[in-house]
This record gives sequence, C-alpha cells and structure tokens, in this order.
Amino acid sequence: MSEAGADDDRKKHRVHFDRHTPEYRDQFEEITHDLHAKCPIAWTDTHGGHWVASGNREVFELARAAEFLSNDHDVKGERRGYKGITIPSPPRSREQQGGFLEMDPPGQRHYRQALNPYLSPAAVARWIPFVDEVVRACLDEKIEEGRIDFVDDLANVVPAVLTLAMLGIPLKDWTVYNEPAHASVYTPPHSPDMARVLELSRNMGRSLYRSLLEIREHPRPGLVDALVHAEIHGRRPSDEELVGVLALLVGGGFDTTTALTAHALEWLSQHPGERDRLSRERDTLLDSATEEFLRFFTPAPGDGRTISADCEIAGQRFEEGERLWLSWAMANRDPAVFPDPDRVHLDRKGNRHSSFGLGIHRCIGSNVARTVFKRMVTAVLDRIPDYRCDPDGTVHYETIGVIQGMRHLPAAFTPGRRLGPSLDETLETLQKACDEQRLAEPVTTRPGRAKTER
Amino acid sequence: MKVRVDPERCQGHTLCAMIAPKAFQLDDIDGHSSAVGEEVPADQEEQVREAAHSCPERAIQLF
Repeated sequence: MSEAGADDDRKKHRVHFDRHTPEYRDQFEEITHDLHAKCPIAWTDTHGGHWVASGNREVFELARAAEFLSNDHDVKGERRGYKGITIPSPPRSREQQGGFLEMDPPGQRHYRQALNPYLSPAAVARWIPFVDEVVRACLDEKIEEGRIDFVDDLANVVPAVLTLAMLGIPLKDWTVYNEPAHASVYTPPHSPDMARVLELSRNMGRSLYRSLLEIREHPRPGLVDALVHAEIHGRRPSDEELVGVLALLVGGGFDTTTALTAHALEWLSQHPGERDRLSRERDTLLDSATEEFLRFFTPAPGDGRTISADCEIAGQRFEEGERLWLSWAMANRDPAVFPDPDRVHLDRKGNRHSSFGLGIHRCIGSNVARTVFKRMVTAVLDRIPDYRCDPDGTVHYETIGVIQGMRHLPAAFTPGRRLGPSLDETLETLQKACDEQRLAEPVTTRPGRAKTER
Repeated sequence: MKVRVDPERCQGHTLCAMIAPKAFQLDDIDGHSSAVGEEVPADQEEQVREAAHSCPERAIQLF
C-alpha cells in the first residue's frame, strides 16, 4: 500500500469534530453517543487535524500510555516543537508553557513532589474551618435579601480565596485574579471584549510575578514559597517557568470548582426531591453525589496530547507528532462503563469517572476541589434549603471546549439571618489567621487545623 | 493474593484508598499510599484489583 493509502487506512474513521462550537454544547449527548457507537477513536481535520478519543476504555488506555504521549509545550523550540495540551494552540505571540501540565517527566514529577505536601488529603483537611468561614460570610452577604447569584456571590469567591491562601498571596487580592481567571476561559477568541480580557490576564501574570519576587525576598509560607525553593532537574527553574506554574494553579483552582458547584446547585434546584434527599442523607450520600456531579458535568472536559513515538494503542495506530484530544467528558458518558450514563444518580456505585484526568497528569488539586465543593453545597442546603434558580437569568458558557462553566446562576429563597461579619471583614480576620498561624505551611510543618475565631 | 505499592512510582493520587479503603493507607504528608498488609483478605481482592487497575502511575503490584 502507498504511504497515502496507509494513512487513509489508519484514519478510516473520520468525523467532523469541533468542540469549540455552541453546537457541540447543545448536542453533546447525541455527538458523544454517535462517536461511542461508530468510532471511539476518530480522526478529525479540524484545528490542524487531530485524533479524538471518546470511548472510556480508549481514553483510559491512551491517557496511561505515558511512554507514547507528551504534554510538552515547547514554546521556545528547544525540543521537538510540541504544542502542549491546548487544541488548537494559541497564537504564537500568546504562547506560554502551562506549568507542569505542559511538561513531561521527570520535571513534571519534581513539581508534583514539591507541591504534594500542601495538597494531600490531610493537608487540605486542615483548611476546612477556614473554608467554612468564607462560605458563611458569602451567604451572610445575601441571606437577608433572599436573592443570590451562586456564581458571583459564592462559587467564584470561595475557591479563589482558598487558592490564594494556599499560595501565600493576600486574600483581598482575589478580585485581581477573579475576572481574568474566568473570563479568559469563557470569552470566545473573536469577541470584541478579548483585548480587555487579555489585558486583565497580563495584569494577573504581572501580579503573580510580583508575588514570586516578594516571597523570594521576604519568605512567607505557601505554594509560592515551595516553588521558589523547588529543585527541578536539579536546578532552580526560571521565573518565567514559575509564573507559568502559578498561572496553572490559579487556573486549576478557580474556574473548575466554580463550574462544578454551579452546575450541581442548578441541578439540585431542578430536582428538589433529590435535593431534600441529599440534605437528609448527606452522611451516606454526599461522597457519591460529589463523584456523580463530577462525572456528569465534567468541568474540565478534556486535554490535548502529542504522540511522542509511533505506537498502537487500543487498536489504533498513531504516528509521532500527531495531536490527540482525550475527552474526559465523553469518556464519562460511555454506556459500557456507566449504566444510564445521561442521568444523574446521586448514589451511583463504582463511579470511576475521569473528571480529574487519568494518568500521570491527573489533577493535583482534586482533594481541594472535593472539599471546597462539599462545604459550599452543604452550607447552601443548611442555610437556604428552598432556593430556586432563575432559568432566565442563568448564563452558561457559550461553548464547553475548555471549561463547562457558568457565568451567572441567580436564585431566590426565603430570607434568613446573618451569622457573622461581612465578607471584607471576614477576609481581614482570616488574613490575620493565615499570617499568625502560618496556615499555608506544608502539612509537614503544621499538622493542625486552622483556628478561626468564630 | 499479595499487594505492594511501589513508593518510587506512587505520586499520591489517592484513588486506591478511595476504591479499597481497608487495603490502602495514605501518608499524611504527601498522600502517598502503602498497603495496610501485604496479604489481601479474600473479601477485598476485587477492590484491590480495581485499585491496581485504576492507579494512574501503575504503582500497585499484585503477586
């Protein structure tokens, strides 16, 4: 067979797949099941041509084949010119390595080892009293009014404040990071607002860089401090590389948990019987419900990879240099693994979803995400149990190519009474707790829980 | 059936302890896993097999 013929044979399952269109969001279930039935690994010519893996088994096998896949984003053209995890890659002028998510081992592994003592289950559990205070203050701000926007007033705030606290960055700066962290994800590339969003993102990058310099000069505990002292490949990485890592931690810590929480709260409003059941049976149901919301809504719907050597995986032959999209979202709807995949079952058993990714790059913040999500949802169930979301005011992201998120989720409820001081005051108090108790130390140094005044 | 977690490979993803909580314990410091005991009780074999299958680092050895 000629070379072109062989290529046609390898790529015999061709589809038109473009996850960046609103149609992909609107017809997600039809497209997903069509791919599952016909070609769980398919070739598409969109965005420069790439493979799309949608079947659960296929995604699982591919994601764990670390010896044949690369996450490398070779921005300076020093290695093989690979384009990292974004498909399509951003314009040359805006290319930046996305931290260790766009690195291969061993460097990627060195970073994870440096950060794990801040993010392990035991390390994250120490923050629960802190998280509860932020949640309390967010709900207090709105509880007397009987109206809240779950995105703007709760799910944007708590993950942002906690992420900054863990980094060792002043809590009050959360507003500097909040808009760019979300808007850079939901603003379509051709939007007239893009120039402003890019400027906000640059401002965020400068702010992260200043934190890096400041903490190097005047050490204070947190993830930034861990990065300042990290040895990667036996040396201290460049500031540019570290800012990329910080941007990854902000991106991973902010928008994803917001997206999960908003979707879960919207679903619970649409299913009040299930909401009451979750509240009543939370001791046994909250863990499985959390995993089910993760599976069903898959906030981060997938990752790109580059094939790093010719190989055959899950019955498909790949060639070095080809691009591949691993769809966590579609793998999560595979009927071969998840019975009744398009329905939420709060008590689903054996829920091996791929929402934190699979393989060596699996989300390093999964313990943080789960904890923050659970504290927010249970506080809502306790304090405003009869909330009703307003579909007319709800704004979903127009596309789900990068994050399946929400911009607004307004809701009304029976007003209640405040329990404590305002958000601003609370953040000041919590900042003091961070500084005095050195809350952001790794669990090796500070094993005990955060103490909050209230 | 016996089980061992390779400490060099484990990166603290914690999936094994979620799937087979009686068979694996997590280190407080970095979330790294180790087997509670090398010998797997018969009623945990299935869970332990699934944990080994799910490990992102392929760090769990059954023998």
